[in-house]
Amino acid sequence: MPPSSLMLADLEPLRKEAIAVRTLLEAPLKLVSLNEQVGWDNLISDENVHRPQLALAGFLELFTSHRLQVMGNTEVYYLRSLGTSDRVRAFRGIVERKVPAIILTNGHQLDPELCALATEYNVALLQTPFETTRTVHILSEFLGDQFAPHVVVHGSFVDVYGVGVLFIGRSGIGKSEIALDLVERGHRLVADDVVILTRKRDAILMGTGSSLIEHVVEVRGLGVIDVRQMFGIRAIRYQKRLEIVVELQDWNPSEDYERIGLDDSTVEILGIAISSVKLPIFPGKNITVIAEVIALNYLLKTYGYNAARELADKLEREISRRVQQPSATHDQRMVTYFQGDDE
Amino acid sequence: MVERTVVVRNRAGLHTRPAAMIVKRAAQFASDIYLESDDHMRINAKSIIGVMTLAAAQGTTLKLIVSGPDEEQAADAIAELFETGFGEPL
Repeated sequence: MPPSSLMLADLEPLRKEAIAVRTLLEAPLKLVSLNEQVGWDNLISDENVHRPQLALAGFLELFTSHRLQVMGNTEVYYLRSLGTSDRVRAFRGIVERKVPAIILTNGHQLDPELCALATEYNVALLQTPFETTRTVHILSEFLGDQFAPHVVVHGSFVDVYGVGVLFIGRSGIGKSEIALDLVERGHRLVADDVVILTRKRDAILMGTGSSLIEHVVEVRGLGVIDVRQMFGIRAIRYQKRLEIVVELQDWNPSEDYERIGLDDSTVEILGIAISSVKLPIFPGKNITVIAEVIALNYLLKTYGYNAARELADKLEREISRRVQQPSATHDQRMVTYFQGDDE
Repeated sequence: MVERTVVVRNRAGLHTRPAAMIVKRAAQFASDIYLESDDHMRINAKSIIGVMTLAAAQGTTLKLIVSGPDEEQAADAIAELFETGFGEPL
């Protein structure tokens, strides 16, 4: 197994047990509290949401009360259709089961006595102007991200020409210095040393740094510097999709380094395959420029041009041409005849 | 210095995969290793672009020139790759 897979495969995926109701305010739902921020510290431990239609109607078996409850037109109009005492009984059936929070869609309000009931049972009552389908969609995406598996990786994560490049390698090999060098050349630092990678939609990995460290970088022999303060806003970004892992290695003459690049090697992180490059380093080698070239080559491949493939195909065509015309002379020069001027 | 004659024996010729095999094998030796075509194009066998430039089809004869402390072993190793057709159909 290549060392890079070893380093990354052993990572233990982390997952949040629960989030506080107040975290929901980060979701793009324009949520406001309808009962004075009651229940904002309640915990949500499930990424699924629930619509409490049958529970309101009195069928409380199998009621997933630990889930976030979403009440749309159906629930609200149903409650309105009831007499006051039935309405209170129906709503009490839900809140007394300690649901963490209820979200009302379409800007719906609840009667004051129902709001008071929610407060009594310490249930957060939130309101969004969005319609129910959209709310559920946004909540699923938001909760999916909150409860997504993530790993913490030791490395430097930089946006190079819009490509998310993660540098890994032994401590002291120069990951931070490469990140700084790239920043100096106009690229953007996402995180250094502590990179948190989160799986999204089971298909991609999103990376960010830690909220404590943000864009602080340690430079050996100097201490810590703040890249955002030093290089300005253009030098940083908060998040980036991970696209390439570059593993920096001390030069090892017996190691088999890639010479053509026809076969794409990958590493698996959280079950997602990410393109990877093993890069030997030695004094005088300009890794920064190579990192830029790696990013540009990745873009070229993404846009349909693979230099290795093109050259291999061209070589095969040339070999078969020589087989068919063995006697023909073959010109090695790119320019057959230096015509005209002598420039 | 060691000089040998090697022949491209595999059907597909010296395409990308065999070229990569040559440079990876050549890189394991300290000696300077060259391949020369009969039109006197001499290339460094440790350079992938160089070896590809030969565009040598099946039956092509190349001169293998090796010079250095491990020249005999290096020459044997490279010659063996040609001899076995790089593990491809002959």
